Amino acid sequence: MNGYPDGIVKEPPEWLSRRRLLDALILRLKGAGQRLAIVLLDMLAIGVLWILVSYIISWHVYGVIAYTLVPWWLFGVGVVEAAAVWESFGRSLGHRLARKELRPRQGGKSTLGQRLVYYIAWHITVLPMVGLLASPPWHERLAGLSLVPFSMEGKKPTPWWRTSSGLFMAVFLCAAVAAAVSVTMDKESLTRLFTQAGRTVKFWKALFSPDTSILLPSIRDLVVTIFMAVIATSFAVVVAVPLSFLAARNLMRGPIGRPIYTVLRGAMSIIRSIEPVIWAIIFLVWVTARRAPFAGVLALWVHSIADLTKLYAERLESIDPGLVEAITSTGAGRLQVLRYAVVPQIINPYISFTLYRWDINIRMATVVGVVGGGGIGQRLYFYLKNLAWQQAGTVMILIVILVWAIDYLSARLRAKLA
Amino acid sequence: MTSEAAAGVRPKARAEGSTLRRRFLSFLLDWMIWGYIAYGVMYLLNAYWWTVPLERYYSTLTLPSWGWPLAVLGTLEMAVWSRNLGRSLGLKAFGYEVWGADGKPPTVGQRVKRALLWHLSVLPLGAGFWSSPERPWHDRLAGTELHVLPSSPAPKRRKALFSQWGIMSLLLIALTIWLGWLIIKIDPRVLIRRWDEGSRIWLEMLHPDFRYFARPDPAFELRNLSFSILDMAVVTLFMALLSTILGAALAFPLSFLGARNVMGFNPAGWLVYFVMRGLFNIFRSIDTMLWAVIFAVWVLWGSPLAGVLALTVHTIAALGKLYSEQVEGIDPGPVEAVAAAGGSRIEVIRYAVIPQVAPSFWAFTLYRWDINVRMSTVIALVGGGGIGDLLFYYKNQGDWPKVGAVVIVIVAIVWAMDYISGRLRERIV
Amino acid sequence: MAEPYLVVEHLTKVYERGQVLALKDVSFTVEKGEFLVVIGLSGSGKSTLLRCINRLVEPTSGRIFLGGVEITRLSAREMRKMRRKIGMIFQQFNLIKRATVMTNVLTGRLGYNPTWRTLLGLFPKEDRELALKNLERVGLSDKAYVRADELSGGQQQRVGIARALMQEPELLLADEPVSALDPATSHSVMQYLEQMNREDGVTVLASLHFLSLARRYGTRIIALKEGRLVFDGPPEAIDDAKFKEIYGEEAEQVEVR
Repeated sequence: MNGYPDGIVKEPPEWLSRRRLLDALILRLKGAGQRLAIVLLDMLAIGVLWILVSYIISWHVYGVIAYTLVPWWLFGVGVVEAAAVWESFGRSLGHRLARKELRPRQGGKSTLGQRLVYYIAWHITVLPMVGLLASPPWHERLAGLSLVPFSMEGKKPTPWWRTSSGLFMAVFLCAAVAAAVSVTMDKESLTRLFTQAGRTVKFWKALFSPDTSILLPSIRDLVVTIFMAVIATSFAVVVAVPLSFLAARNLMRGPIGRPIYTVLRGAMSIIRSIEPVIWAIIFLVWVTARRAPFAGVLALWVHSIADLTKLYAERLESIDPGLVEAITSTGAGRLQVLRYAVVPQIINPYISFTLYRWDINIRMATVVGVVGGGGIGQRLYFYLKNLAWQQAGTVMILIVILVWAIDYLSARLRAKLA
Repeated sequence: MTSEAAAGVRPKARAEGSTLRRRFLSFLLDWMIWGYIAYGVMYLLNAYWWTVPLERYYSTLTLPSWGWPLAVLGTLEMAVWSRNLGRSLGLKAFGYEVWGADGKPPTVGQRVKRALLWHLSVLPLGAGFWSSPERPWHDRLAGTELHVLPSSPAPKRRKALFSQWGIMSLLLIALTIWLGWLIIKIDPRVLIRRWDEGSRIWLEMLHPDFRYFARPDPAFELRNLSFSILDMAVVTLFMALLSTILGAALAFPLSFLGARNVMGFNPAGWLVYFVMRGLFNIFRSIDTMLWAVIFAVWVLWGSPLAGVLALTVHTIAALGKLYSEQVEGIDPGPVEAVAAAGGSRIEVIRYAVIPQVAPSFWAFTLYRWDINVRMSTVIALVGGGGIGDLLFYYKNQGDWPKVGAVVIVIVAIVWAMDYISGRLRERIV
Repeated sequence: MAEPYLVVEHLTKVYERGQVLALKDVSFTVEKGEFLVVIGLSGSGKSTLLRCINRLVEPTSGRIFLGGVEITRLSAREMRKMRRKIGMIFQQFNLIKRATVMTNVLTGRLGYNPTWRTLLGLFPKEDRELALKNLERVGLSDKAYVRADELSGGQQQRVGIARALMQEPELLLADEPVSALDPATSHSVMQYLEQMNREDGVTVLASLHFLSLARRYGTRIIALKEGRLVFDGPPEAIDDAKFKEIYGEEAEQVEVR
């Protein structure tokens, strides 16, 4: 060996080295994570199906909304047990999505006994979650089964209606649609849907005989809408470009950078998930309805900042690091690298995203107007509310033309940039 | 290989035919830019000095009867001179540059000559272009040429900021922001003047009131029933779900009618294709919120059905367009193979087209599901039902803590669905 | 002597309103059971010629007879019926990548089954058995339910062959069947074609890039150059001069073993 007599080891054995231990831990955590994900997915699916079914039953039988029909703890136990049974005795949805299956370690077919052992051991392993860290996890070891990648080789496929997950998905889909239908369609609105079509006839007619007397003021409002989009977009760019550098994962490293990145991305994604319309409502109270277009612009601006920052930052994250390396290797400073390696890669995508957002903002500006944010949308809403169908139709034509034109223009310009 | 050869023929012919059109568009762009500048200057004059006899309205102006021809001719002249005395934005955008026929940059004399001759050559119905569209009279007489950039010799160009088009772009941006500022009546001081009001809203929203999260709020009634925030959130999700399923189911067959390669190249197929694409485009450009108003008046104000219908209509149009573009982008190989095995057109769709487009169809549907969830949270504001009903109700009550609670629930829903649909899309693609 | 099996008369194909001439007045005949190889440079019209025979490409003028039937005159519906007897395999395999091998092979039976059945994917039991048999024949029986894009190039082409076999064809069109494959796989694929030709008596029309492959497998060779037929004869008749004429002066012969 290394000059020492047998039995005396100078160095710690290799499996004890820190790296090996760490690797092993990570490997196990990964395995545990995957198994846990499968279990959670199964429980989620079963839980949601349960909720859907009880929703339908309670709505139609009792005329109230109830999500479980049983006490919450019973619901919990039921879901866990159902998931355990499904995973032990069949190929569950989670297995299917993870493209895994349970097979005896020795090959051949699994027996009912093995499955039973698996089911019982599952409770000891998965519920306290410790057994999952073992490799293989306790319940699999006890049952002599292992979770292996699923393969179709040399097999005949079972049609979906003869697999448990296929049947489950079918039932799930039916329940979801049934629940959705029973919630959204009540008798009154359905009958009105079929009897009250006449109310909109004037509107459809107006699409072919516009009221020209309101054309000029409508075009004025259209101009306001366009300017709302332009101003909101350009001011958003000014804010979003610097923010995007702070929100790019690859640029923000270290103990200061990473928290900034996390906070910024989180905030942007919260802001983004609130529709501009909601922002407009808030801003309308703030700046008063007298300044409706201003409130609309603020709403669009806030939402655009969040959206553009995300788009820009994602683009920054996917820049080619090779070019950065090359420029850095010439001895360039940080700003020079930025100017000569980063900016050339992002300038066209940035412009393209901006155009795209401008396109969206035009649409959004009309929508924001509907809740009182000024511009053409407000005019349209006014006419619609007062059942002035002919005027509403006229305004609608203008909006369609505008949106079309902008859509076309922005698509053409973006195609040129790409 | 034959198709490649065939494809090689087409673009050249198109490029030749479009020279005049491109020139015209480039000129039109310059003309429009000067028109816009004139409008902006008039507007600013009107806003600040009140010297021009115009109607003072916030976005358009009314000119006296003699003003219109003056404006048209004035902007035309500006366009002509700007195109000849430097590289205007219109020239730059289309990659044109005026160049001497001798291969040198044109002299000032040549430029002026070309501008003057332009009137003789173009104004009489473009007579100068009749003999040779490539090099009309004014170019020939002034000894210049209009180069398309890649083919022109590379001269020492000025920096963008010192060229005419660079200065013009900056000017246009500044003008636009100035105009927008005035037209929208932007006034940041309001934000500060009403700071108390604004900050009160924010503070109250940040102290959300979740009392009625799972318990129905007795004060809020819809069709004689009380609902909790959770109830309305579920309704919202169901609206998005139903409209996505309905929309996708209807868009799926329609998308094949809107795909060129499936409809074939006979006149009937072309007509169907054209009508379908037109309908998709029109229905798509009317936003969901506007559809919701129509359906709310039609069906019932505040009924979720109105929201579902509005979302469905927009979903059909949007998905129909995306789907048919995917169908048009398929690999023709399997189509050939199935046809060669004796498959009919519908069998070709079933065995060669659908398997190819299925993953992207799923991805688009999930993406649309995501959008529909977002839209359904606010569609109630125009009578479409869903959680927005609560939001609007509480906002009208001025009950901002409850508004805050609803907004947080909305954020949670949108976030969760965004995450799920993103993960699923990753798996599919 | 009876009428030859396949007769091509004055076949001309012009693409794009008279701008590209792909085939110029091509005439030849093929006897039943022949293994005819079409050679020529890329762009010489080989693919167009094969596609004109099953009318995936509509000929501009000229007539084609197959077993005494003038197929250039058939209606679309009759042509679909006729295509059952004409199998085809492709350079890029043209499989449905995201479907199973089984589904791919079964598409070869589309012409034999009513549309309502095929739309629902309900192929008769005999067809499925036949599919398994044909997969076994090309040595892929254990891959029947694997997705087609998980297979290697050579395996994919063998699926293509199995699909053509499903049609129980009398004539097989092979459009550069081995161009996308490496030399070793090429021979195995060509041997399947040879086997079909010898054992099942299928007439084969294959376009090939390499002369060596053409010599090895073809019973007769025709050559196209810029859409014209420039050679028609036995493989041995192609000498150096003939080769230069077909492939151009700079060409060198490359052996594929």
